Amino acid sequence: MIVPYALEISVVCVGIFLLMVDAFLKTDKTTIAWTGVVVLLAIFGLTFALGPMPKGVIPEAFYVLDPTALFFKRFLLLATVLTLILSIDYSPVYQKFVPAAVPQAGLGEFFTLPVFACAGMMFMVSANDFIMIFVALELVTITFYVLVASMRKNQGSLEAGVKYLILGALSTGFLVYGITWLYGITGYTSLDGIQSVLPRVPEQYQPSVLFGLGLVLVALGFKVAAVPFQFWVPDVYQGAPTPVTAYLSVASKAAGFVVLLRVLEPFVTTPTFQVKVFGILTILAAVTLILGNLAAMSQQNLKRLLAYSSIAHAGYLLVAVASLSAPGAKVAIGFYLGGYLLMTFLAFLVLLNVAKVSGGDDIRDFNGLGKRSPVLALALLISMLSLAGLPFTIGFLGKFFIFEAALASGQYVLVVLGAITVACGFYYYLKVVMAMYWQPPAPSATNIQVSPFGQFLIALLVLAIIIFGIFPQPILGALTHL
Amino acid sequence: MLIDFLPILLHVVVAVGFATVVLVLNIALGRAGKRTKIKDTAYECGVIPEPGPQPRFSVKFYLVAMLFILFDIEVVFMYPWAVVYRDYIAQHGMLIFWSMLSFVIILLFGYAYAVKKGALEWGR
Amino acid sequence: MTLTLGHFLLVSGLLFALGLAGVMLRRNIIVIFMCLEMMLNAANLSLVAFSRFRPPIDGMPDYNAQILVFFIITVAAAEVAVGLAIIVALFRAKQTVHVEDLNSLKF
Repeated sequence: MIVPYALEISVVCVGIFLLMVDAFLKTDKTTIAWTGVVVLLAIFGLTFALGPMPKGVIPEAFYVLDPTALFFKRFLLLATVLTLILSIDYSPVYQKFVPAAVPQAGLGEFFTLPVFACAGMMFMVSANDFIMIFVALELVTITFYVLVASMRKNQGSLEAGVKYLILGALSTGFLVYGITWLYGITGYTSLDGIQSVLPRVPEQYQPSVLFGLGLVLVALGFKVAAVPFQFWVPDVYQGAPTPVTAYLSVASKAAGFVVLLRVLEPFVTTPTFQVKVFGILTILAAVTLILGNLAAMSQQNLKRLLAYSSIAHAGYLLVAVASLSAPGAKVAIGFYLGGYLLMTFLAFLVLLNVAKVSGGDDIRDFNGLGKRSPVLALALLISMLSLAGLPFTIGFLGKFFIFEAALASGQYVLVVLGAITVACGFYYYLKVVMAMYWQPPAPSATNIQVSPFGQFLIALLVLAIIIFGIFPQPILGALTHL
Repeated sequence: MLIDFLPILLHVVVAVGFATVVLVLNIALGRAGKRTKIKDTAYECGVIPEPGPQPRFSVKFYLVAMLFILFDIEVVFMYPWAVVYRDYIAQHGMLIFWSMLSFVIILLFGYAYAVKKGALEWGR
Repeated sequence: MTLTLGHFLLVSGLLFALGLAGVMLRRNIIVIFMCLEMMLNAANLSLVAFSRFRPPIDGMPDYNAQILVFFIITVAAAEVAVGLAIIVALFRAKQTVHVEDLNSLKF
């Protein structure tokens, strides 16, 4: 039995250790990444041996361990492991774009920074106080600034980095100012404290509370890529190194949603604020659904398409957030994100392998992939179908649970909108499938070989998508029990 | 009420006064003589001199400056820590000491990383 | 005239609005970045003001917000360090720090 926050502490220690190995030992840098993978998997194992929270060492107001937090800690560890594996695959491309004074310059940091981001996000999903939320969120965001901009000889990466930096810092400003107002009215930075005071907030101060909450929502909207705070998403996703894009779209979004749930908790349970907050969330969800799906339809670049699809998926998740009054909504969000992890990493794994050979990530680079590499084509097919939400995949069940929760809480408009946008989704996801199977390959296109380990990983992800799409119980169980 | 601010006023007067006196003394005692604009321009064989390019700073300078700010700002946590240290130790035990120690050790690792990566080498 | 909480909040709100306007209107990335820092400082100011004007509990003022200010200051320093490094890298690659010139990512 170990204390719960030993998980985060050990992840930080792993990060520091890897950084020191990178600085002081002249090993091959990929060993750093493999060490990280192995140790993080070991920490993943430790999550099954957690004891109860000890009393008094860390105030409970700062750090909570509930089923949601524990599920997302596992989720984030797995996402980091997958990112590291993708990064190893990506390292030849990465090195082309980094000024190399010595061989493999910059690779050590490229493999180490995701570990620190992971620690930050693990703190985020347990944070129950605005001080903790702020510090954890910034640890993640600043790490991502570096990761996104790290290919310094690639103008796309640098531009993406600067855009992410400016908009990320802007959202930080909104977050902090929002926290200020919430603190000013309620007198607490902890969410439990805010919860206890909220019902007694006098009427003339209620607009100030909503103003503060609104600013915090703007900031979290940036993090989870909700419309109208999504401008950065397409550019940053396209410009960033592919593993970082995958990590950003899965882990950062998931952690953002958990914080969103925690921050909203006091407000949606207080009758005076409930109606207004749900109103705002409903509008956000509707706009995000419509814009994300419509904009995705015209995309010609797969990375950009996945960026808009990530906005669209944020829309579905926001539908669940807007239905928080239904008992199943929280579980639905966890399950959806779990599925999103599998499908997105599968898509990016294929994208990375294809882009390495064809040199581009436009959809036309995938022409004839069915002939050039049947394995990759099949994997991308499954991933796209699951993202679109075909039955017997995890993507379908995720959407099903969300719409179920939405119906239970009476969000009929959002359900109808969701159903329409799912149809749009089929159009743009199947566009990729069409290119793979119906378009002839370009004359210069060569066949693509996948390493045995890559094939193993693809098989694992595909199986998980299908198995959990039919038997969701293990994930649902993990979401409801410690 | 206002009398409380008298020391600050005195401070300002002394600071401004000292600066003025020194500057005036410099002009009065210095042998620079009268300066004109033409006298101050550089002589370049009769060609009207052009302003030179911006002086070049090494990027190393910014790197060291940034590292200085990063390590400097961390001290901010030690002030409140030092203020409550004695009382906390008496009441709750040594936890506060180990917390700060681990914080400083983490910083130390960051420092070791910076040194090893050559971020503090001015010469090169 | 005595200073009330309202005065502090007014100044802080002005700082925040100025910062936001700067981010929206300015075209130089360094200036935008300075405006962002101004927004953070606006928050710091109002946090300290809110904390100072709270009725003390057991004779002690509420220090939570002031601790948060320390964290904001340090995080802002880290953000500036990373941000300036990225902007310098951008300048070395493109010889510009203007937002109009960031246009290579288009579909």
